[in-house]
Amino acid sequence: MDYFAGVTDALRVTFVQMMLISFIAMGIFVVGMYINLKKWGMGSTGYGAAPSKSIMAFPKMLMYQMSEHAHVHNQSVLETFVLDILFQRRILRRSPLRWFMHFTIFVGWMVLFAMSGAMFAVEMIHLIGEKVGYAHDLPWFMIPETFRELLSVPNDVFSYILLIGIIIAIYRRLFVAKVREATIAYDSILLIGLTLITISGFVADGIRTGRLWGLGIDSELAPPMALFHVVISLLFCIAYIPFSKYIHVIAIPLALLANKGGE
Amino acid sequence: MAKREPSITTENFTAVQLMELDSCSRCGECVEWCPTYDASGQDPGLAPRDKILRWREYMNQSYGLRAKLFGPKEISEDDIEQFKNDVYGCTTCGMCATVCESGINTVEIWESMRANLVKRGNGPFGKQGAFLKLIGEYKNPYMADNKDRTNWFPEDIKIEDKAEILYFGGCTAELRQRKLALATARVLNKLGIKFTMLGEDEICCGSALIRTGQYYINDIAKENAQKNVDNIVAKGSKIVLYACAGCFRASKVDWPRLTGKELPFKVMHITEYLQDLIEKGEIQWEKSVDKKVTYHDPCHLGRHVGVFEPPRAVLEAIPGIEFVEMDRIKENQRCCGAGGGVKAGIPDLALGVASTRVEDALATNADLLSSACPFCKRNLSDGRDAIGAKELEVEDVIVLTAEAMGIDLSDTPDE
Repeated sequence: MDYFAGVTDALRVTFVQMMLISFIAMGIFVVGMYINLKKWGMGSTGYGAAPSKSIMAFPKMLMYQMSEHAHVHNQSVLETFVLDILFQRRILRRSPLRWFMHFTIFVGWMVLFAMSGAMFAVEMIHLIGEKVGYAHDLPWFMIPETFRELLSVPNDVFSYILLIGIIIAIYRRLFVAKVREATIAYDSILLIGLTLITISGFVADGIRTGRLWGLGIDSELAPPMALFHVVISLLFCIAYIPFSKYIHVIAIPLALLANKGGE
Repeated sequence: MAKREPSITTENFTAVQLMELDSCSRCGECVEWCPTYDASGQDPGLAPRDKILRWREYMNQSYGLRAKLFGPKEISEDDIEQFKNDVYGCTTCGMCATVCESGINTVEIWESMRANLVKRGNGPFGKQGAFLKLIGEYKNPYMADNKDRTNWFPEDIKIEDKAEILYFGGCTAELRQRKLALATARVLNKLGIKFTMLGEDEICCGSALIRTGQYYINDIAKENAQKNVDNIVAKGSKIVLYACAGCFRASKVDWPRLTGKELPFKVMHITEYLQDLIEKGEIQWEKSVDKKVTYHDPCHLGRHVGVFEPPRAVLEAIPGIEFVEMDRIKENQRCCGAGGGVKAGIPDLALGVASTRVEDALATNADLLSSACPFCKRNLSDGRDAIGAKELEVEDVIVLTAEAMGIDLSDTPDE
């Protein structure tokens, strides 16, 4: 099988390679989350109760806390989800600059992730359509090349939004003394990974389209660059989540839900 | 060869708390606001962020991927002992939880860490170890005869045998700061409110045991909470009033957890009760208290259970009082330094935090620093004396209320 969302044969990366890497990344993620759930499940399902040592302890305790009456804030799950998880108002209350940095990274990342997922879905639907024979019945925007073109501008916009956040994060880590002094490898790895993924994405796209970020690199190198971008994206942003600071993308929303948005 | 056992256990942690350790984004807000980190000269070990990081590492070394593959990594006893010292250098004021961008319930994590370390044989810290024996034996932490809780009340104090309203005095007000207990009783009497008290049947609320991680040992805290609940029910009371923030917090939050049941009565801080009466116009003021007064929010009354306005409403209603606020108030209030067992365990640290809070009050040019907790009053008074700010009076809101109602407290007996 030789399928890829590129526009020319020269830009293709084999479908099998991509799927294999994706499944490996997902597999590592699932194993990692299982280990984390086991670790969290070493706790109890009630204050002062004996450790449960069951993988169900965490979901049980989470549901209990979410349904418990809070003494100070007793806000709804919806309010927590919209204002604290999506809008991240707790960060805004403390530091508008840090909120802007984190929000641009969050929005940029999530939208690019969603668009990548949508692109993958369109390609799969079209690929299966070609095999089964319904491809010609698909609406015009479900043609991979057309869909890719539709996503082109939002891709650029949200990539730059993400880049702005990353630049602020790097600046803080390097030039704000308090932040620099408190930085440990746990923090650095997250930012280095994020930077590597974002820059490699810009460069891969630049080589493919021959635009600024291509840095004059031969277009023949587009497929390996794209593959590199995809591999590190999958490894850092899926496989590595349970074992690193990336876990905060899962744990913080859960903590906010458990504590009804926090004190 | 037998597989090495993990150096730490997960005893006393809930599954959500273990997850919360992974949700710290290390933003550092908690470090900026922590009163003991500040008062210690910025000892890095006391930074809340650092404590979360260390216990997370202990968890990963004991139960993470590497531990699953190659066995748990040993954590040295020195490291754990140092961690214990650091986790007890915290007043459990909750400022770190308020500013935490991840919404981590840090106070309960510190308490769980302490309980875990007590069970492991490392905790508690210094003199805090005596709480268990004292409360178990004397029913109060002051080694006082429990009969002395209310038998010193002057004869004019009228306490019903049974009543809908019960005043839970608390060990500190009944045995050490009797002016507060007397003021509360006389205010209620003067307002014509029939109330009862537990007297010698009152047992320590358990706050000292809970905050220092000793609540589960021999189930003393649980048994005491249940006895207090049963004794209150036996008095036929529907509303329980508190003039002590620590007892109020313990009753409202900890008793239901310890006993596993909702309380069969309503608990109110005395300032909440008085605010209602003021709004109904049922308090007759007789004297003017011509002082510039500021108010310190006790952590256990404010951040822990959200009572911020009632004490202010009472102060603002008192004739003559010019009420001024300090810079850090309500959710962002700076702790007095007494809580979490720090006053008993690390008095110098408690004094350092209190001195900073007194300086906050001095910056307002107030004549009087008020609070609604006898423990805060004690530590703030010590802080004031430590920095030599003799001109600043420290007094409880209820004592000021009594004064404005024309109540004489000069017959308060010595402790």
